[in-house]
Amino acid sequence: MTNPSATPNLQVQLGRLTLPNPILVASGTFGYAREMEGIVDLSLLGGIVPKTITTEMRVGNAPHRTVETSSGLLNSIGLDNDGIDAFISHHLPYLSKQSAPLIVSIAGSSADDYVSLASRLAEQGGIDALELNISCPNVAHGVDFGSNPALCEQVVRGVRNSCDIPVLAKLTPNVTSVVEIADGAAQGGADAVCLTNTLLGMAIDWKKRQPILGNDVGGLSGPAIKPVSLRCVFQVARAVDVPIIGIGGIANLDDVMQFLVAGASAVQIGTANYYDPTISMKLIEQLPEALNTLGVSTVTEVVGTVTSNKS
Amino acid sequence: MSTDHCENPLHADYYADTSVHHSAEVIENVQVAEGTWRVRFRCPEMASKCKPGQFIMLKITDRDDPLIGRPLAVFEITPDEHGVPTDLDAVYLVKGNLTTRLVDVRAGQTLDVWGPLGNGFLPQPTRHLIMVAGGIGQTPFVTLAKEYLGLANYGRDCPQADKVTLCYGARNEGLLAGVETFEAVPGLDVRLCTDDGSLGHHGLVTDVLKQVLEDDKQAHGSNEGVRVVCCGPEPMMEAVAAVSKSWEVACQVSLETPMACGIGICFTCVTKVLQDDGSWDYKRTCVEGPVFDASKIVWH
Repeated sequence: MTNPSATPNLQVQLGRLTLPNPILVASGTFGYAREMEGIVDLSLLGGIVPKTITTEMRVGNAPHRTVETSSGLLNSIGLDNDGIDAFISHHLPYLSKQSAPLIVSIAGSSADDYVSLASRLAEQGGIDALELNISCPNVAHGVDFGSNPALCEQVVRGVRNSCDIPVLAKLTPNVTSVVEIADGAAQGGADAVCLTNTLLGMAIDWKKRQPILGNDVGGLSGPAIKPVSLRCVFQVARAVDVPIIGIGGIANLDDVMQFLVAGASAVQIGTANYYDPTISMKLIEQLPEALNTLGVSTVTEVVGTVTSNKS
Repeated sequence: MSTDHCENPLHADYYADTSVHHSAEVIENVQVAEGTWRVRFRCPEMASKCKPGQFIMLKITDRDDPLIGRPLAVFEITPDEHGVPTDLDAVYLVKGNLTTRLVDVRAGQTLDVWGPLGNGFLPQPTRHLIMVAGGIGQTPFVTLAKEYLGLANYGRDCPQADKVTLCYGARNEGLLAGVETFEAVPGLDVRLCTDDGSLGHHGLVTDVLKQVLEDDKQAHGSNEGVRVVCCGPEPMMEAVAAVSKSWEVACQVSLETPMACGIGICFTCVTKVLQDDGSWDYKRTCVEGPVFDASKIVWH
């Protein structure tokens, strides 16, 4: 019998990656972490995923870059970043000295590009995992590797073989079968899959007969997409033998617990960082009590414990 | 600046590292002009850090519609009876999803607030500070006027100006908000104008600015030491920047771009800013602005 008053063990294992707790912050929603150092205690985070980097700098898409929708936010930032050289010289020294695990998000234009980005980063040291962003809807070819199981397997395997850092694949929900893509990632040797990136959507100013976003279309995030991401986690957890990080509209502890029991070993907080900048701290503080409620002493004990009403 | 910097421009090293995030009790929320309200909330930690030209992000506690916070400029930093900064005021135009709900918030309710944010106006030696405001763009200028007139100290030293002028324009008299607050600032020269002539000069705020510049030149032989600061609708800021350029006076603009976080993490609020090599890059208005040298802005 578990002692409900004991402090639960929050540590989680995803393939070769060990995290001190399952509350991470999602790429593109936390800058390069330094922006947040005055607002949150970075050392408490289960992991930091800075904004996606590319080989060359990208100015990103024209404004408007975000627009609020019902319970959600559409964005078309367009991977605005200064490129890997600037990341290594400017951001990595700060990020790698943080005690929280550092998971660097990369986006390439080809399988070789992913491999060379990974190799460059692996040389630097101080990086705990790579997250392959094969699911950005806001750049040309951003989802190519995330919408074809064979290509997904190829790019994951390429990166996996090129370095010793754990590899995560961040997948798009904008596919017919996310299970097939996740299986491709698992076949390629992914330590975990991150489910999911944003849902493709748009907003229109009908009086101007014009899309609101500068890129016409963008990715929907926030509480509006949580049921979709949760469904993806549930489906993949039951079909593919690969650890999962849940992402999508997580805004409170109930959301976190739903993703864990659905099959996610950890979660990433995204859009909620924008409108509740200390949300990650609150969730880390509240998590032990929720685990006590279930009478478990480790996070791992609840992962994937949901039962189907159909079985 | 190194060559590397020009070839691969880095975003500036500005972070919201003095910001705090907490609930703030509303002290009062009152209408001050047509469709324009002033909300005062208690936040001593934030108030003690706040500098002229900074802003805060605001969300109504426990309301998920709107989901995303909204940026509001700080209008006043109010001290308690011991002179310790305690409350912040924001003046807002009721026009969107947040502001239409904000008018219903009563004293005693709480707001989720994070800030102070942005770089505000940095103190610079100035003989004559000319503040040019349009519409709701007057909000950063009460504290700035007080600082340059030596009437308030916001935790930093600021060289005093010999003269501070406010040129403030709106579509009509009813939309001019907070005029009595400005007129109550001792030594501040307030010049008003309206598009329809219902109050002050009948015409554009740039007409008023040109007259102030002309008067200054007549009195001093040149406009040396004049600094223009500007906040308002973008076409008006562009026009003020052009006037300042032709009169060869320094001009800074405080931009108001749509924001989703206010703290530099979402990259929504970007604006085109000229680099040293003549190219432009998108800069985040929230952490790299909102105050920019007007000559660096690529106007749309």
